[in-house]
Amino acid sequence: MRRSPKGSALFVFGVAALLIATACSSNNGSSSSSSPSGAVKKGGTYRSATSSFGFVGDFDPVGEYTAVGFSYYQMLLRTLLNYTGQAGAAGLVPHPDLATDMGTVSPDGLTYTYHLKSGIKFGPPINREITSSDIKYAFERIDSSSLVAQYAFYYDGVIQGMQQHSGPPKNISGIDTPDPQTIVFHLTTPTSDFPARLTLAATAPVPQEVAKCFTKPSGGYGNDIVSSGPYMIQGADQMDPSSCSTIKPMSGYDPTSHLILVRNPNWDQSTDNLRKAYVNGLNMSIDSNVDDIFNKISSGSLDGSFYEIPPPTVLQKYSTDSSLKPYLHVDPQNTTYYISMNLLVPPFDDIHVRKAVNWIIDKSAIQKAWGGPSTGTIAGHIMPPSMADLGADYNPYGTPGNQGDLAKAEAEMKQSKYDPGKTGKCTASVCSGIILLNRNEPPWTDAEAGIVADLAKIGINVKAREMESGAAYQTIDTVKSGAQVGISMNPRWGADYGDPNTFAQPLFSSDSLIPVGTSNYSMVGMTSSMAKKFGVSYPAGGVPSADSQINACLPKTGQDRTTCFQGVDKYLMEDVVPWVPMFWANQVTITSPTVTNWAFDQFTGFIALQNIAVSNTATP
Amino acid sequence: MWRYIIRRLILVVFVLLFITLITYVLFFVMPPTDPAVLFAGKHPTPQVIAQVKKNFGLDKPFYIQYLLYVKHIVLGDQYGWPGLGFSFTTGKAVRSLILEKLAVTFALSVGASIVWLLIGVPIGIISAIKPGSIYDRLGMGFALFFVSAPVFWVGLMFLWIFWYKLHIAAGTGYYPISQYGVFTWANHMIMPWVVLALVFAAFYARMVRGNLIETMHEDYIRTARAKGISERRVIMKHGLRAALTPVVTMFGIDFGLLFGGAIITETVFNLQGIGLLSVQSVNNGDLPVIVAITLVASFAVTFMNLIVDIVYAYLDPRVRYE
Repeated sequence: MRRSPKGSALFVFGVAALLIATACSSNNGSSSSSSPSGAVKKGGTYRSATSSFGFVGDFDPVGEYTAVGFSYYQMLLRTLLNYTGQAGAAGLVPHPDLATDMGTVSPDGLTYTYHLKSGIKFGPPINREITSSDIKYAFERIDSSSLVAQYAFYYDGVIQGMQQHSGPPKNISGIDTPDPQTIVFHLTTPTSDFPARLTLAATAPVPQEVAKCFTKPSGGYGNDIVSSGPYMIQGADQMDPSSCSTIKPMSGYDPTSHLILVRNPNWDQSTDNLRKAYVNGLNMSIDSNVDDIFNKISSGSLDGSFYEIPPPTVLQKYSTDSSLKPYLHVDPQNTTYYISMNLLVPPFDDIHVRKAVNWIIDKSAIQKAWGGPSTGTIAGHIMPPSMADLGADYNPYGTPGNQGDLAKAEAEMKQSKYDPGKTGKCTASVCSGIILLNRNEPPWTDAEAGIVADLAKIGINVKAREMESGAAYQTIDTVKSGAQVGISMNPRWGADYGDPNTFAQPLFSSDSLIPVGTSNYSMVGMTSSMAKKFGVSYPAGGVPSADSQINACLPKTGQDRTTCFQGVDKYLMEDVVPWVPMFWANQVTITSPTVTNWAFDQFTGFIALQNIAVSNTATP
Repeated sequence: MWRYIIRRLILVVFVLLFITLITYVLFFVMPPTDPAVLFAGKHPTPQVIAQVKKNFGLDKPFYIQYLLYVKHIVLGDQYGWPGLGFSFTTGKAVRSLILEKLAVTFALSVGASIVWLLIGVPIGIISAIKPGSIYDRLGMGFALFFVSAPVFWVGLMFLWIFWYKLHIAAGTGYYPISQYGVFTWANHMIMPWVVLALVFAAFYARMVRGNLIETMHEDYIRTARAKGISERRVIMKHGLRAALTPVVTMFGIDFGLLFGGAIITETVFNLQGIGLLSVQSVNNGDLPVIVAITLVASFAVTFMNLIVDIVYAYLDPRVRYE
């Protein structure tokens, strides 16, 4: 998720450059399924701390759009379909959760029908059976614009009758609930990743009797989430839902200090194949001192870290001391860090220049700046291995040691119109004074000098401009200001759910080109008429499009779909070349010996809180 | 005197209004980021951004927003008086958020200021009355060390030595008296108090020493001695009283400033006070919290200045206010 707090946590990594580059290599990509000490048993509490919750939607599932938030929801909420909370591609395959099975799809792909398992109840204080109307109500909340559902686009225009409106939630014509156990979705267009969209927390059942009280943006439902999963917010049973005025925030959640989850007495393990729910609860506190968090893990007063990346000294200790190594968990996330080139801006409107840039960039230096191989695997193409893996062998611009290849870059540059003298250097006037956009924090700033020097080798002289992360994104997600920036190294992209299209349509489709807020920073698929509308100049040679390739994959399912998107990735890498993929990120977690079962959730990209076990006897 | 105090209080109100205006202007004219976009998620479509702006009240021109803000401060809002709005990040009322955090910062500031006065002033006095002695050298060595040592380093070292290695001090975090009792609360506050106090104590020791040495060379001290008053009385009654007046000024300002938060100490010891809140709110573009903290901090400084001026009148017979 772009807005995950990982960006700030990555700050500490800048200092780690070189230090752990070799030390961690043996851990790269590995994820042990359990820690060495003790057998897996139920009980205890996972005690952890985080520097900030970093929520962007007040923790209300309708709007919360951070991977961190999704991690907590895996303990609190159940959806029609969900994930097993494990590492690797298997962790991205949806399974029935509240639904009895994977549902039935009509032959035209427009109607999805799901039946709910019986006997699943909301947690206290609601304690009644969850019905299809509760799920429908969650969808109705998505369309109430004042609640700011941040990923409403996955449903609006896809399910019939779904569109944003002002005022409280109201009926959606495209969702039927013929009986309390059945829900039917009528779509406007076949959407084969629709089941994956039903795994997202905004679609989890919401009891109207509580949530109807929260129609205003402040003091929202996030403080009073009614559980459907194995855990509930501490103090949920004390909440008085008899009227809106009696509902007070649950004691277990304070956005500025703690989140305490305890067992939901109404959860029945026999209805839930996806969550082991070993621990009795979670105690997540805010600790502003990241060093302190890791000292507490080391001293045993905390059981493990969450999203914070360990400080360099801690990382070095855990990666070099063989007795500590089992407690260092390095797991690949579904995120690509990349350099984006703007196809509207000369000289990047020429594919030969873009290819030459791919040849010249020293990715190993970038990886070192980020802290070495434990931070991530060098990316040879766009989609991370967990999405639509083309395999490590596919690397169209692979160079020895990933250090870049001047000869190949020059050979490519000689074919460019910006190198009329065939010198292997970009010699036209447009090759100088290009803006390179970057973030103003390490490790981005640490990697900058190397990239600037690499580009200079082929005659591309850039002026680096560093901005705060949010400002940098705003610059390139606005088409007009983005057109001032030739090349940007600030973005990264993470998948919302396990479908390769999350790495295609939002990033490379002309549909996602909007004046403000586009995520297609390279402007792939821009037409001259669109450029005119947006008020930006359009290159004489045009801009390649990936629309037909992407659209061809959309109706496909299963392996066909994966193979098709692998083709899109290939097409983008060889025929469009909008990016220089830098690396696929890893999540680094450190646990104490008290963690007896380690689990990583590929879906959220963080520790699987719903499946870990501890040997402590702490109460939440 | 009362007329003077009332006049000053009215002035404080204007100063505060001016500061909120400056904060607002800075927030709207200078910022590189639009907070609405920050809260609009991964795909900040214009519709979502517009809705977030509406929810946050950012859709109105900034002067209207400012006037509304002032109105709420004067008349209160849905969360009570003074109306400080709600936090963009947490959705909580800023008023209760600030009060909650202020309790932590207050506990830290009061404790630390007592500690630094207890350490700094005696060291300064001893150094001043025996200049050049071993006590003076030790005292000034202490001062030089802690004036130079960065607070974050001292804090981390204290934690490492006394908590992590020796296990004689409690770890980080704030443990409210209401939940954990006085002992646990104080046990967790001792290290932050001492760490924050050391740097101030060092400054105060140097200042008291310098002032006292200067005062002890004044004519009226010679007169006092000539009258046969005991040296102890000369120092404590005649010397120290004059030497301490600048210290009072400094103390007032320092103490007031701490209400803006001791950012580093709070961060190192994970005390969820105003300082940490200010850093978080600046990072998140949380305007209502930023303005509220600025208000609290400026109020504390201006108010403490007033107190200092009043105390001055008692300490220094030459000062009278009309």
